[in-house]
Amino acid sequence: MNRLTALWRKETLALLRDRHGLAALFVMPTIFILVMTMALHDAFMPGAAIDVGYAIVDLDGSAHSQSLARRLTKTGSFRLADTPGDVEAARQAIRDGRYALALVLPRGFGERLLAPAGADGQATEPLSLLVDPTLNPALQLSFRNQTSAALGTLRADELTRSAGKLFGLPTPTQSAERDWPDEIVSTAVQNDRSIRPPSSVQQNVPAWLVFAMFFVVIPISAILIAERQQGTLQRLAAMGLPFRFVLLGKLLPFFVVNQIQAVSMVAVGIWAVPLFGGEALVMPAGIGLFHCWLVAAAVSLAAVACALLVASLAQTTQQSTIVGGIGNILMAAIGGIMVPKFMMPGAMQTLAEWSPMAWALNGFHTVMLRDGGFSAILPDLLKLLACAALAIAAASWLNRSRAA
Amino acid sequence: MLTLDGVAYRYRAAAAPALQDVSLNIPTGGVYGLLGPNGAGKTTLISILAGLLTAADGQVFLNGKPLAEARAANPRAIALVPQDCAFYPMLTVAENLRFFGGILDLTATGLKGRIDFAVTFARLEQATGKRAEQLSGGLRRRLNLAIGLLGQPQLLLLDEPTVGVDPQSRHFLLDAIAALPTAGTTVLYTSHYMEEVEAICQRVAIIDQGKVLAEGGLGDLLRCDESVAELVLGIELPAELTSRHHATAMGPLTYRLQLSSASALPRLLDDLAAAGCPLHQLNVGRQNLEQVFMRLTSGSLRD
Repeated sequence: MNRLTALWRKETLALLRDRHGLAALFVMPTIFILVMTMALHDAFMPGAAIDVGYAIVDLDGSAHSQSLARRLTKTGSFRLADTPGDVEAARQAIRDGRYALALVLPRGFGERLLAPAGADGQATEPLSLLVDPTLNPALQLSFRNQTSAALGTLRADELTRSAGKLFGLPTPTQSAERDWPDEIVSTAVQNDRSIRPPSSVQQNVPAWLVFAMFFVVIPISAILIAERQQGTLQRLAAMGLPFRFVLLGKLLPFFVVNQIQAVSMVAVGIWAVPLFGGEALVMPAGIGLFHCWLVAAAVSLAAVACALLVASLAQTTQQSTIVGGIGNILMAAIGGIMVPKFMMPGAMQTLAEWSPMAWALNGFHTVMLRDGGFSAILPDLLKLLACAALAIAAASWLNRSRAA
Repeated sequence: MLTLDGVAYRYRAAAAPALQDVSLNIPTGGVYGLLGPNGAGKTTLISILAGLLTAADGQVFLNGKPLAEARAANPRAIALVPQDCAFYPMLTVAENLRFFGGILDLTATGLKGRIDFAVTFARLEQATGKRAEQLSGGLRRRLNLAIGLLGQPQLLLLDEPTVGVDPQSRHFLLDAIAALPTAGTTVLYTSHYMEEVEAICQRVAIIDQGKVLAEGGLGDLLRCDESVAELVLGIELPAELTSRHHATAMGPLTYRLQLSSASALPRLLDDLAAAGCPLHQLNVGRQNLEQVFMRLTSGSLRD
């Protein structure tokens, strides 16, 4: 116990005096959480306004074309930036970057409203959409869908009015312009109860916490490689200290560091994010909090074990920084930390299943977003613990074979 | 104290063995010098004694017990002071000593006593609160040595302990190491500095290519034929004296002469004085360690 206490004390002092390591472990993830929570604030909020401008070029000038323009404005998702008089002006404005979309309503739009696509044998000029090529295709699609929906309600209202006239039914003199879309309230499913959908802070805190926890690779490898290069490991071995003690000596202090990271990042989510205009992080209560800690503990074991493996593989601190740093970024990119997994194509989602960060994130999401119990997080816990065991075994083997 | 009997070792995938049939006897009390060019097998031998490697063949005994058994009975019996400064630069001197004392599993009271001894022995009193990374080269070497003494070892393995230190620190370190046997610690000392080994070692082994080339008391190793004199002069030896004394040039102003009888030496000195040749150095019947070393290792350049 004397030996382990000495090792833990040494690791703690070494880490406390490594300002760069501390910055990588605590400052970097805090900044990531704040920046990404703000940047993705709207991405996780259904129906939120999109700061993309559009123009309507109304070449028809009819009551129907004006009605369509009003209906689109009322949706409020996209911002009406201009109503230029001709197509060329709209093209120039898109080239100048003043707005990204321009919907052109052709002449005869109102007259041909109930005879689209030449249903009556005469040609109908289609609506056209001018698009900035740098605009996200998903946003283009969203605007097209909103236009189609607005057009559909306009046609329905016009049809109702015409049919009423035809059959002598009482109809309002002007078609009612109902708000569109009809309000749809999103509800996230959590076990037996329902809550509001998770905000960006609920998504970002666990994601960047996982990323930060795996960054222990930088201080761990810096110390282990220095110990190897300076002959300290040899000296410790000559003093009869088994290598497993060296590994154990690093496991506990960095496990504690990971837990402090978890508490700090949660605190950032609860108290710091609201100061910057975001929503406060909501943590599970009761047994859910314990499950959350179980996930954090498993992630920590996997992270420290992976760091020890990288430190054993690398010959120099530069190598470990490159392998550890790039490895973490790759794991984060594949594992859904940087880009949420649901936004990835199918093949990438399958690949994500192989990233320990994906198991970690899934574990946190299961507890924090789905209110999952122990059995729900068990598969991810087992994967993380297996990863930790394999990495420790490989690190021990590498160090043993290097000594021979 | 320490006996090596036919020890051999070969690294995995190495073409030649690092050690072959090495037999040595290192007596208790004293400083034992281990010399050899780079790649001779010194570090391998020290690694075996420190328990970092296991001899593939042969046996090592410490105080009559097989090495592994002796180390298991007393893990602090042998201490290694590596050539590198093997401690933590971000920790202070006191923190380093406390850490390594903890690794040696010293009890709290024992640890304090041993740290006090090590600090006093290595004269580190003024540096205990300094971080190791802020120490001068000499102080680092002293801390490296102090850590080696924490466990009060019976045998201390010193691997090039004076590399990169100033003359004052070297002098202090050599005096301190020479005093260790009186404190009950036998020293196995490896160095490339022949004058250091000559100054503090009582017995010496010279190894090369994994084999022991010579082993024995320092005086025995340095003794040589008394009919041969080696001179270093201030000017060139006149031709007449060269032929009269069968002199051979060994280097710039350095000559080896064959003395025909015991009375030839006074006559030679008279001849040199008469010829106005200043005599800077004269060796008769004893060579220095560097000469022995270069002769035994063929003087060829190593890696």
